[in-house]
Amino acid sequence: MYRIGIDVGGTFTDMVAVDGAGRVTIAKAASTPEDQSLGVMDGLERLAAALSLDRATLLAETAIIVHGTTVATNALLEHKGAKVGLLTTEGHRDIIEMREGLKDDRYNLRQPPPVQLVPRQRRLGVRERMRADGRTEIPLDRASLDSALAALARDGVEAVAICYLHAWCNVEHERETMAAVRAALPGVYVCRSSEVLPQIKEYDRICTTVVNAYVGPVLERYLTRLATRLTDAGFSGPVLIIQSHGGVSTIPEAVRLSAGSVLSGPAGGVAGSQYAARIVGHGDLIPFDMGGTSTDISLVVGGEAAIASDRRLAGQRVALQSMDIASIGAGGGSIARIDAGGVLHVGPESAGARPGPACYGRGGTEPTVTDANLVLGFLDAESFLGGQARLDRAAAEAAVDSTASALAIDRMVAAEGIHRIINTRMAEGIRLVSVRRGVDPRRFAILSFGGAAGLHVTDVARQLDVRRVIVPRLAAVLSAWGMLASDLRCEIARTHIGDASSLDPDALRAAYRDMEAEGRARLAEAAHGGPIHVRRSADMRYGEQIFEVNVPLDGLDFESPDLVQQMAVAFHARHEALYTYALRDQEAVLVNARVTAVGELPSLPQEGNLASGRPAAPRGHRRIYLGGWRDVPIYAFGELAPGQAIDGPAVVESGTTTVLLRAGDRATTTPVGWLDIDVAALR
Amino acid sequence: MSIAVDPITVSVIQHRLRAIVEEMGEAMLRTSYSQILNSSRDFSTALCDPEGRLIAQAEHVPIHVGALPFAARAVHDFFKGTIQPGDVYLLNDPYRGGNHLPDLTAFVPVFDGDRLAFWSINRSHQSDIGGATHGAYNASATEIFQEGLRVPPLKLYDRGVRREDVYEMIVLNVRHPRDFRGDLAAMIGSARIGERRLTQLLQEFGSETAHAAVEAVLDGAERQVRAIISEWKDGVYEGEAFLDDDGHKFTDIHIRARITKRGSDLEVDLTDSHPQVVGFINSSFANTHSAVVVALAYLIDPDTPKNDGAFRPLHVKLKEGTVVWPRPGAPVTLCTNHCGQEIIEAIIRALAPACPERAMAGWGRRFRIAVQGVDPRTSRPFIWHLFQARPGGGGSSAGDGWPGAGEWQAAGGIKFGSLEVHEVRFPLFFRRHEFRPDSGGDGRYRGGPGGELELVIETTQPAVANTAGDGVTYGACGLLGGADGKPHSYWLESEGRFDRLLKTKETGVTLHPGDVIHAHSGGGGGWGAPSERATEARAHDVDVGFVSR
Repeated sequence: MYRIGIDVGGTFTDMVAVDGAGRVTIAKAASTPEDQSLGVMDGLERLAAALSLDRATLLAETAIIVHGTTVATNALLEHKGAKVGLLTTEGHRDIIEMREGLKDDRYNLRQPPPVQLVPRQRRLGVRERMRADGRTEIPLDRASLDSALAALARDGVEAVAICYLHAWCNVEHERETMAAVRAALPGVYVCRSSEVLPQIKEYDRICTTVVNAYVGPVLERYLTRLATRLTDAGFSGPVLIIQSHGGVSTIPEAVRLSAGSVLSGPAGGVAGSQYAARIVGHGDLIPFDMGGTSTDISLVVGGEAAIASDRRLAGQRVALQSMDIASIGAGGGSIARIDAGGVLHVGPESAGARPGPACYGRGGTEPTVTDANLVLGFLDAESFLGGQARLDRAAAEAAVDSTASALAIDRMVAAEGIHRIINTRMAEGIRLVSVRRGVDPRRFAILSFGGAAGLHVTDVARQLDVRRVIVPRLAAVLSAWGMLASDLRCEIARTHIGDASSLDPDALRAAYRDMEAEGRARLAEAAHGGPIHVRRSADMRYGEQIFEVNVPLDGLDFESPDLVQQMAVAFHARHEALYTYALRDQEAVLVNARVTAVGELPSLPQEGNLASGRPAAPRGHRRIYLGGWRDVPIYAFGELAPGQAIDGPAVVESGTTTVLLRAGDRATTTPVGWLDIDVAALR
Repeated sequence: MSIAVDPITVSVIQHRLRAIVEEMGEAMLRTSYSQILNSSRDFSTALCDPEGRLIAQAEHVPIHVGALPFAARAVHDFFKGTIQPGDVYLLNDPYRGGNHLPDLTAFVPVFDGDRLAFWSINRSHQSDIGGATHGAYNASATEIFQEGLRVPPLKLYDRGVRREDVYEMIVLNVRHPRDFRGDLAAMIGSARIGERRLTQLLQEFGSETAHAAVEAVLDGAERQVRAIISEWKDGVYEGEAFLDDDGHKFTDIHIRARITKRGSDLEVDLTDSHPQVVGFINSSFANTHSAVVVALAYLIDPDTPKNDGAFRPLHVKLKEGTVVWPRPGAPVTLCTNHCGQEIIEAIIRALAPACPERAMAGWGRRFRIAVQGVDPRTSRPFIWHLFQARPGGGGSSAGDGWPGAGEWQAAGGIKFGSLEVHEVRFPLFFRRHEFRPDSGGDGRYRGGPGGELELVIETTQPAVANTAGDGVTYGACGLLGGADGKPHSYWLESEGRFDRLLKTKETGVTLHPGDVIHAHSGGGGGWGAPSERATEARAHDVDVGFVSR
C-alpha cells in the first residue's frame, strides 16, 4: 500500500508517494489557487503516471493521504474569509481593535489603520459578566442576546465567534450562547473561545477565535470538496490535514479548530526537517527553506521542532501552539535597489512569479537575486529546472548593470554585492531566530531546502560560523515527504492559575487527568486504534514577568504529594537554561496546564541506501565568478555515489536545485544520497 | 584620513549594525524583570562612537535616541584616558545627557586593539528610582532632588570587576531592589552582546575598512535626509504648542518653534519658548534635542537609518532658563511625555506648510494614574499603573489616525496588557473599556478615537492615587485645516460625594472602596479640511460608531 503526501504551495503542488519498501516517487503539478483540489487531482494523475498506474488504481492501493494546505493561510492573507459576527461582553467590544495598545513600525506615522476582520458594527456586546474567580457578576441576559442574534441574522453573517471575559474559568455563558446561536442561525459556522483557546488573556483568545470563525467556513468548503473528489476517484482511506503544530488531524477536527491550520503549509517543511533529523542522525538542525519571495527559518533541537504560541499572521494573533517559524520577506525573486543615500538593499520587494526575475524573460527588468546568480554563472541558463526553462542571460546582465552604473562599479562586483547582501540578511535572520531563544547557532547543522537555498547556504553558514550543511536529495519536496512521517496530535490547554505555594496538588492532578481524557477522546473520534503517548507541560513564570516559559513535566511523579514543588524546581531549571539565570528565592506562577496527546501512526518505511558504485565524474565544467572567473566542475546530484567527496569550488545540480561549493568546502554523499557539507571557515 | 570602501561592504555593514542593535533589544526584552521593560518595552539600545556620534539604534523609544549622544560624550569626557576593556559605566542625570531620572543608561566600551572604538549602550526606564514618590513621577516636586537618585557618569565595573560599594549604594536608594538588580543585569548583558558582535565585525572586516564603512553609512543617511529636505520650499516657518499647566502656578505654557529652512538645512530655534516653570514639565537639554530629532524622524522616510548622519541637517538653538532648557536643579520627570510632545508638535505644525504630505496631525497626550493600596484578598500592598484608555493617533495624508494608538512620543510602542490578568492580580474591576465616540478631530482624514474606561476600586480600605500628564485643556492638534482631537476628561465617582474632576498633576488623591475612575482619553487630530472628507468615509464613521451621528 502507498502513502501519499500532498503539499500545496503558491506555485507548485508537490506530490510524494511512498510504498511499503520506502521507495519514493514524486510528481509536481501547477497549483490552482481558485480551487486547490483541482491541482491536487491533477497531481495525483501525474503521480499515478510516474508509477505507471492509473489514478483509480493508485488511490485504491493508497492507505492514507496527508495534506498540507494554504487555504486557511490565503483566506487570512488575502482577506477572503467569511463574514463574521462577534458576540462579546457588553462594554468590551473593542479588545481586538485595541491590539493591547501596540502598533508596529514605530517610525511610520503615515500609515492607515488596519482593516478589521470583524468591523465594529458586527462586534456586539451582550449583557453578561464573569469574575476572575469564576463567579457570575451579571447573569446572561437573554433579551440582550436575542437582539444581538437578530442583528446578526439581518446582516447575513456566515460565521459567529463568541468570546466573553473570563470564559477561561467559567464557560457557562459561552456554552449557553453557542446553543442559542445554533438555534437562531442554523447552518452558520459557530465557535466559542472556551473551546478554541481556553486560556486567560482576552486579546489572544478573542483574536484566535475570530480567526477561527473567519477561515472556518472557507476551509470547510474546500476540504469537503476535496474529500468528495477523492471518494469519487476511488479513495476510501483517511485524509489527514497537517496542522500548524506539525501533527495531523482528521478533516472534521481540522474544520472545528480551523485556526490551527493557518501555518499548515510551512509546518510541513518543519515536519520534514524533523524526519530528516532522524535520517541523518543529527538532532540539532536549522531548517532553511529559501523560496522565491520568502524564506522560512525554524529550529529543530534534539530532533524536536521548537513550538511557539505567540504567532502573528497578517497582523492577527493566533495563540494556538504552532511551529515556531520565522519568515523573512526575501528570496530568489527579491529585487535589489539603491536608496537615496547610495546604500544597496535587497528586498523586501519581490518580482514574484509575475513578472519574475529579468532572466525569466516575462517582462521583468529590475535586478533580482536570481539575475545576479545567473550573471555570476552560479545558475546555468540552459539547464534551469532540469532544462524545462531557459534563462535570458542578456536580460539578467542588463538588469544588474542598472545597479552597477548607479553605484559606479563593475557589473560583476554589483552581482556579487547583491549575492552578499541577501546572504547577510539570511544570516542575520538565523541569528535572531536562534539567539532569541538563547541558542548558539554554531552547534547546529543547517538543513537546506526549497529551490533557492543551495546557492546561498554555504556562505550563510560561514557567516554564522556554522560548519555543517545538509542538503536532502529530495530538497524540493521535503515538505510533502516529511508530513508522511507525522503523527495524529491534539493539543489541550487550560488556564490553572496560581503560585506554587497556594496550588492544590489534587486539583492540579484532576485538571491534567481531565485534559488527558479529552485528548484520548478526540483521538478516538479520529478512529485511532494505535498507541497513544501523552506529554504534560506547564506554562510558568515569575510573579512580575509576562512571558511564560513552557516547562516539560514528563519526568515528574504526578502522584507525589510534592508535585507542585517538583514543578517549581523544573521551572527554575528551565528558566536558567533559557535565560542564563533563575531566581530560586521567588515564587513560580503556573498559568496554563498543557497536554499533548499523540496518536502514533505506523512508521514511515525508510528508503534504502543507494547501491555503492564508482564516484561519478563531473558532467562538465562551467565558468563561475568567485572574485574572478574560475572554471569549476559541475556534478549531477542524482549520479553521486555514496561516500563520494567533492571539493569546492564546484557546483552540484539537480532538476530542482543547485548547490554551490566554494573553495575549502567539502561535500560528502551520505548512504541515502544526501549532501553532507563541511563548510570552510571564514578566511 | 579614511580609505575608500566599496559600496557593497558599506551596505553589508549597515545591515549588520542594525542587526546588532536589534539583537541587543531582543536580549533585553526576554531577560528584563520589570513590567515597564518586558511588557511596555520602555528601553532603547544603541551604538555610539567615542565622540558620541550615534552609529545605530534599534526602533524602541524614539524620545531616547537624540539624547544618547550627550550621555555618551559626558561619560567619555569624565573618564577620558582611563577607560579599559571590561568597564561598565552608568548615568541618568538629565543635566548630563539623561532624559529624566528613571532612564538609567549603561555603557560598555568596545575596543579595537587598545583603542576605544565604540560605546554599546542600553537606556532603560526603571520602575523606581527612589525619590519622594513611588515610580518616579512626582507632580509635587519643585526641585530634582525630590524626583529620585541622580547618577553622574559613574564606573560600575572596573576591568570586568563590579565595584560592590558603588553597586550597593545605588541599590539601597531604590524601592524595589530585587527588580532593580535583575533589570540592571539585563541591561549590562544586552550592552555586552553589542560589544561581542562589534568586536566580531572589526575582526571580520579589519579595523580600517570597518571604520571607513561606518563613515560611509553615516554619510549615506545624511544624503538620504538632505534629499528629502531639499524638496521642501525654502523659508522661515513658525509653529506653537501649549501645555495646560505645570501643576503649580503656570498655565498655558507655550513652546514656540521658529524654523529656517534653507537648501537641505533646518535651523530649529526654540529660544522664544516659555521661561522655565516650577513643576516637572521642564525638558532637560538632551531631552529637548531628542524631541527635535523625533520630529524630524517622523517627517522623513520611515526606513531611513536614524544615526548621526541623518540628523546633521539639524541645527538647534536653545536658551538657558526656558522650559526647554532649565537651569540645573529644576524637576524634569514628565518631560519625555510633556513638554517633549509639545516640542514635537510645535515643529511639525511649523513645517506642515513646507511638507503637507509628510506632516501628521497630533497624537493624543499622556494622562497616567498610579494607585497604591492593599489587596483585601491577599492583604498585600500593591501599586498599579494605568496604561489603558489610550488616546488616538493623528490623521495623515495616508488616511485616518489609528484608534487608541497612544501618545506622539511613543507612537504605539506601549502595551497595556490583559484586563483579565489585571483583575486576577489587582483588586480592580474593569466595568467598561471601549473607544470614545466623537473624540477624534474631524478632517479630510479623521483623528483616531481615544478610549473610555470605567474602573472600579475594590479595596476594603481607602487607596491613594497620583496623577501625571497633560491635555485636559489642549487636545491633540489638527493640521492643515483639520480639527483638534477632544481633550482628556477624567473624573472620580464616589458614592455620597459629588463627582470630582481629576487634574493631570496631583498627589495623594484618596480613593474609597467602590469608587469608580472614569478615564476618557483624547482623540487624535484631524488632517486636512473637514469639507474634503469623503461621503463614504463619513457614513463609515457612523456605521462603526466612531462618530455618533
